[in-house]
Amino acid sequence: MSINLVVLSGIFSVIIILLVLYLIKKENVNIKYSLVWLVLFVLLLICLFVPGLLAFITKMLGFQTSSNMVLSLLISVLVIINIVNTIINSKQDKKIRLLIQEISIMKSNDKN
Amino acid sequence: MKKILIVIPSYNEEKSLLKNYQAIIEYNKKHKIKYDVILVNDGSIDNSEKICSENNIPCISLIHNLGIGGAVQTGYKYALSHDYDIVVQFDGDGQHDIRYVKNIIRPIINSDADMVIGSRFLKKDKDSFQSSKMRRIGISIISFFIKLVTGKKIYDTTSGFRAINKKIIYLFAKDYPVEYPEPVSSTKILKMGYKIVEVPVCMKDRVNGVSSLKNMWKQIYYMFNVILSILLVTRGSDK
Repeated sequence: MSINLVVLSGIFSVIIILLVLYLIKKENVNIKYSLVWLVLFVLLLICLFVPGLLAFITKMLGFQTSSNMVLSLLISVLVIINIVNTIINSKQDKKIRLLIQEISIMKSNDKN
Repeated sequence: MKKILIVIPSYNEEKSLLKNYQAIIEYNKKHKIKYDVILVNDGSIDNSEKICSENNIPCISLIHNLGIGGAVQTGYKYALSHDYDIVVQFDGDGQHDIRYVKNIIRPIINSDADMVIGSRFLKKDKDSFQSSKMRRIGISIISFFIKLVTGKKIYDTTSGFRAINKKIIYLFAKDYPVEYPEPVSSTKILKMGYKIVEVPVCMKDRVNGVSSLKNMWKQIYYMFNVILSILLVTRGSDK
């Protein structure tokens, strides 16, 4: 991977990590949901800056270039994160439905 | 005369629920004290709700499980709306002893503290329940980080046996950590300049039910999350 790409990816990773930490601090996100982003980009930083690690993983996974590997891995992880988010959203839908029903029943009990 | 509320967060504790409540009522009668009780049934799927209604136990049944943070916060909201002066968190599994409540609320009544934590690790009592070695190591690691962030040493960082005054009731009713509430809320309070005092208590071993933190991986994940949460606590905008 060219030095430009390594530096660019590194900067991007640091920005994301700082952004997520900032969001956690401001209590805009739950820690348990943001942990995956932190772990992902810390791992990426480690791969970028430990000499030889990136090349080793690239060869092991059978990719031609490191940039292809990083891209593919990132996309795969994003898919998984999205699926998990889908599950979380579905659970939240259920909770909201429950709230609506219970409050509606309470309101109608008050009225009658 | 201070109005005191005991909040009992409870999840699937049908076996010890009634016994614990009766112990408090007995204590009230015997010592001519009035500790009010509110049991927060955190969406239990056992017979907890039935036991509460059959025995006239004051109870708020959450329509969905929220976890310890959400359940205890519900108790704080209840305390705020009913104008209580002191709230004591009292676990629903029988580990806490009602006789220590008077020790825990004393520093608040004397205005020596805003929050009082009943600590298992101040008094070296062989008979008392000291918790497993792993948990104690975890607790001291959390203690280290709280000291790092706030400068104050707290010995029993995860003790749910704690009392708070009106100022803290207002704060917690408004905003209370959902995950890892005990260490994170203590850190936040300390950062905001409030005073925490620890008093020694003895806790009993869990009689019935199962603790919610069982296997090792979960504990490591928990530790990592708590430490990160503590490091990221802010002062907040109000005092």
